[in-house]
Amino acid sequence: MAQKPVGILRFLGTNCDRDVWQAVETLGLTPRWLWHEDTFHPADYSGFVVPGGFSYGDYLRCGALAAKAPAVQSLSEAAKKGQPILGICNGFQILCESGLLPGVLVRNEGRRFIDKWVKLKLRSSNAWTQSASVGRELNLPIAHGEGRFFLEADGIDRLFENNQVWCTYSDNPNGSLKDIAGISSPTGNVCGLMPHPERAVTTWMGSEDGRVILSNLLV
Amino acid sequence: METEFAAKLKKYRLSSDEYERAKKLLGRDLQGLEWALFSALWSEHCSYKSSKVHLKKFAFSSPRVLQAMGENAGVIDLGEGERLAFKMESHNHPSFIEPYQGAATGVGGILRDIFTMGARPIALANYLCFGDPKAPRMQALVEGVVSGISGYGNCVGVPTITGQTEFDASYNNNILVNAMAVGLFTEGEPIVTSPARGVGNLVVYVGAKTGRDGVHGASMASESFAADSASKRPTVQIGDPFFEKLLIESCLEVIQKDLVVAIQDMGAAGLTSSSFEMSAKGGVGLRMHLDRVPLRDSSVGPEEILLSESQERMLLICEPHNLEPVREVFERWGLDIQVLGEVLPTPEMELLWKNEVVCKINPALLTDHAPMHDRPFEKWQPKKQVSNLSPNGAGDVALPAVLGSPQAMSRRWIYQQYDQRVGGKTVRDCDDSVAVVRLPTTGRGLGIVLGCRPSVMRMDAQVGGYDAAFYPALELSAKGFEPLALTDCLNFGNPERVPIMSEFVASVEALAHASRLLDAPVISGNVSFYNETMGVNITSTPATGMVGLRPDIESLPASHFTQSGDEIVLWRLPGVSYALNASGQISEFSGSLEPEAVALWLKAVRGLVTSNGSQIRASRVVGKYGVGYALARLSTEVLGARVQSTGWANSASANPWHQETLYEVLLVGVPGLLSKVNEVAARHRSTAWKLGSVEAGALTLDNSEHALGNLLKIYRTGWGNHFAQLA
Repeated sequence: MAQKPVGILRFLGTNCDRDVWQAVETLGLTPRWLWHEDTFHPADYSGFVVPGGFSYGDYLRCGALAAKAPAVQSLSEAAKKGQPILGICNGFQILCESGLLPGVLVRNEGRRFIDKWVKLKLRSSNAWTQSASVGRELNLPIAHGEGRFFLEADGIDRLFENNQVWCTYSDNPNGSLKDIAGISSPTGNVCGLMPHPERAVTTWMGSEDGRVILSNLLV
Repeated sequence: METEFAAKLKKYRLSSDEYERAKKLLGRDLQGLEWALFSALWSEHCSYKSSKVHLKKFAFSSPRVLQAMGENAGVIDLGEGERLAFKMESHNHPSFIEPYQGAATGVGGILRDIFTMGARPIALANYLCFGDPKAPRMQALVEGVVSGISGYGNCVGVPTITGQTEFDASYNNNILVNAMAVGLFTEGEPIVTSPARGVGNLVVYVGAKTGRDGVHGASMASESFAADSASKRPTVQIGDPFFEKLLIESCLEVIQKDLVVAIQDMGAAGLTSSSFEMSAKGGVGLRMHLDRVPLRDSSVGPEEILLSESQERMLLICEPHNLEPVREVFERWGLDIQVLGEVLPTPEMELLWKNEVVCKINPALLTDHAPMHDRPFEKWQPKKQVSNLSPNGAGDVALPAVLGSPQAMSRRWIYQQYDQRVGGKTVRDCDDSVAVVRLPTTGRGLGIVLGCRPSVMRMDAQVGGYDAAFYPALELSAKGFEPLALTDCLNFGNPERVPIMSEFVASVEALAHASRLLDAPVISGNVSFYNETMGVNITSTPATGMVGLRPDIESLPASHFTQSGDEIVLWRLPGVSYALNASGQISEFSGSLEPEAVALWLKAVRGLVTSNGSQIRASRVVGKYGVGYALARLSTEVLGARVQSTGWANSASANPWHQETLYEVLLVGVPGLLSKVNEVAARHRSTAWKLGSVEAGALTLDNSEHALGNLLKIYRTGWGNHFAQLA
């Protein structure tokens, strides 16, 4: 039986949607658009990606307006059912604002947008990291102005205790607390990541390490 | 009254000759809104009145050209169903007044030129010229321009993948901000043009509401600056990249669904230029109810509506039965549309305000009958040519000093603020000398590179004009790309001054000749005159953007050493020689260019790089600060080289490592490379030498050894994390 399609959410201002579409197709899977104004049936999809961009221009807090969209209500149902959900960059911010993930992403320490390749470490297994990959170092690009993860001190400790910090920077580019690049929900199916795995799925892109994460969509 | 009339001429920036011309065309005095219309459309910025005579010299084409000058952007055919639209444009004056918004709206404007035609924007590039880093305001200007480009380009989701940044005191009071955008049409996607068609079709306004920003912007950009440029701040437009992103998606959707007849963006001189051009080109009239234009503020009047340069607005023509589907698309993307009027059978613009006709005029009088000036100029004479370079002249600078200079050091601080990968097509980014995009349906490589070296222009405007095409063509050729076409952005001072106009003519003729020889036509462009502040003119700067194509991206040569033991070959076609001093100036040059020979040699370079047997692993064009600088740039943290200057160096020069010759290239490959280059070199009156080999650990130029870590550190951290570290 053919695998169910992968749902890619689109908000006004999403701009990494086509990149994610291309990456999903590169992996041999079928992508489908999910429009922000429409709700959907989670069971029709094998997993979900919330791509990066500048939803609603980031004019309020990043991700704050998108978090109220009808499609995010359906996404919350999918989260409760344990389906895999990955928020990348602005998608990560949307998942935090919608309460599917804890914490918040604030302006980079240097106050500037940063585009560069970074080294990352996978720290725990979840829906987007197989246990065999834990401990691996990945080379992925970042491109964000507001990627500094923040949460109160006891909250951070709890994230580490629960293995919810699944990805950290080897050389912190933005001042993120405890070098955090990605966190997951306590159940591990909802994950957020600031770097862009969809921009590293073939050698000509400069790295194939994004496959280590995205290929978990293959069931 | 005479004085009142004179004041009016001044307000609308019309000369008395121009007024007489307009009067003669109309057969009467100008009335009401006509003043504003003539002011805008006959401005230098809109009419190209000082340059048109010479721009005709670019009028040559190739079978690839589908659309050249006269449309929003030029379009070339890449074959296999893929077509490319691209253009470069200046936003110099607004960026000096208000750097963030000036640069941001420059990016927004050039993007609209591309997607207006139906092409999806896939790449942005920027050509920036700043003054001395220590000059007043320069730190704020650099920071502002870079963050403006970053803020706009990143949000609209188009990668900024290459650029050029220059520093010279001639730009202290007049910086240059030129933006280039490239868009792609894939198989079956239509090209939309701007002529209005179909009597009874609707004239539709889409996008942001109209405000007072940018009123008189076009005529402002057509004047020299006085000391009080800050007083012109209200004429600068404010950009909204989020709105632009919505416009990109919605416009491309209505175009791909074939719902529109024509589209034009409202750029310089806003609604006036867009509607008059659509009407004149289509040979039809347009009726427009100006009071239906969506306004930010109800007090904005008809004249301001016509001249406003509010951003992110488009004018489109659609058949009446398509209005609802068009509305549906735009509303889905959160944008409002408004019908302003309809297409009329006779070529007449009919402007109404509260159902009363306030202006009725043949649009061609404004678009096609603008005055044309053949400004005085002198025949070009090379100025600093000597028979031999002075032995102790420029070039006697040490490699670390060169690498750490503002002219030569890494621009990473700038481009790290740009999203270089959004869109998922970037193969080579701003780190490289040529940006490379992978064409999604065929997997072919598209190379994009900017040209024009102000230091060479200051040396000689004719050599500089040739170089503005040949240098980027060589960069493409050294990576195996066939140069296909060019766009230009001709930044010059006051054309009413003979020396400036002479440089303009000399460099335009050289550029046109070079593009013909390369078979790479100039398909779009922009002229920016009056880059003069308080009597000081900028370095004449004909910036170019060139695109090239190669059949694959797999065997693309690297831009750094990849393997110890590789042979390093210098391949030179002798022409003009010179050396930059530490502050980036050239005091003299010897020799002359043979343009025909250069064009043939460039083909030979590409032929060798792409031939299977050549086994070239890396390449780099020798540019500023000569072979020494190029070798330093080829070096990595671990791989350097041991090289000798015997044989190839000009003995008269104090330091052969930093002397330049137009043109030369470094090729790096499997040992035995020299003999492969020699097989081709002799046919082109060119010469090749083996300089040495790639070696781990250090870069050794003759007897001076440079630790790699140190060189890289000097090159990369000159301005650290902040431009202030340089200033």
